[in-house]
Amino acid sequence: MPSPFISHASGAWQAPWPPGENGLAFGRATAIRLQSHRFGVDYPFPALPLPMTKPPPVPLTLHGMLHGARETLPLMPGLAAFGMAFGAASVQKGFSMLEAVLSSGLVFAGLAQMVALEGWREQWTPAALLALGLLTMTVNMRHVLMGASMRPWLWSMPAWKTYPSLLLMADNNWAAAMRYHQEGGNDAGYFVGSGLVTWVLWVVSTAAGHAIGGGIPDPKAVGIDLVVPAFFVAMLLPNWKGRREAVGWGVAAAVSIAVSFVLAGWWFIVIGALAGAFAGGFTDDER
Amino acid sequence: MSVDPQTLAAICVMALATAFNRSAGFFLMRLIPVTPRVRRVLDCLPGAVLVALLAPGAVHGDAAMLAGLGAAFLAAKFTRSDLLAVVAAMATAAGLRALGF
Repeated sequence: MPSPFISHASGAWQAPWPPGENGLAFGRATAIRLQSHRFGVDYPFPALPLPMTKPPPVPLTLHGMLHGARETLPLMPGLAAFGMAFGAASVQKGFSMLEAVLSSGLVFAGLAQMVALEGWREQWTPAALLALGLLTMTVNMRHVLMGASMRPWLWSMPAWKTYPSLLLMADNNWAAAMRYHQEGGNDAGYFVGSGLVTWVLWVVSTAAGHAIGGGIPDPKAVGIDLVVPAFFVAMLLPNWKGRREAVGWGVAAAVSIAVSFVLAGWWFIVIGALAGAFAGGFTDDER
Repeated sequence: MSVDPQTLAAICVMALATAFNRSAGFFLMRLIPVTPRVRRVLDCLPGAVLVALLAPGAVHGDAAMLAGLGAAFLAAKFTRSDLLAVVAAMATAAGLRALGF
């Protein structure tokens, strides 16, 4: 018997949930709750087979891009300062202007670039390149989680639009876009526009930092190191809804702090975030 | 304006690694059906990522960092402006550091 849960789009098994995604609404009251032996989670089983209707794909408009770009403006001084710091630091490691700009343009990951710069070398053996790749992946492992969290929103967008958009993912435009989506926004252009502004600013400020070289004042003295964390705080607050966040955020904070003392490197971000998300996700509101 | 081939190779390796990270999570979620439970975990993920980024930084940072984050919290809560949150945090931290904290 053909399963009503096979999606037309991908052929992948797709749960008819959330209601908005297939245009049909069924609440918990109308669902027969079965214990799924496969995933060990409650699964609302519809009483009747669902007529599958393909949802309209998530739009990606110029209007949305401008909206996202506009809302990135408060971050500009911080991003520019960070990019300039990388550009100036890259001079110390013997980067040419073009190399510094290529690094920022292609890698586009401030933390990973800074960390890699610490151990930068003249000669790269294959083993050193492999280690560099692994280092980059672990430092930026949070991007895997961030991408996963965008699936419920962007899943209906064609892949040729989604994956290039995802390449523009940075902490700030992801955080801003998740807030935008949570507040009812549906235009993927918001994410793309914010990402494009971030990318241009990152590359330009890297070039500026490289040109100025060592003459940049200590970024900590003017509080530049607070810009991105402060922006995160502003992005975080609207996510608060109640019990689930109290549990999830508490666990995320406790686990990430504990891991940061125990494990070297940047594992604390991914481990803390996963622990918090599962703790929050398995906290039920109704009980 | 020159590019050393070895440096270029290293940059390309890093670019591949970040591109993989950026696409992998979204792709992997294609294989996992979004049950209500999975959906709730995904909904909790953004906040958890932000907390996991912020909390260790606050613990390991100096007093000015903590005070700046506190200022950002208050500014974001009462003004709902991202810009004011950033400005308040920078001003607080810069001020405290200038005073020698």
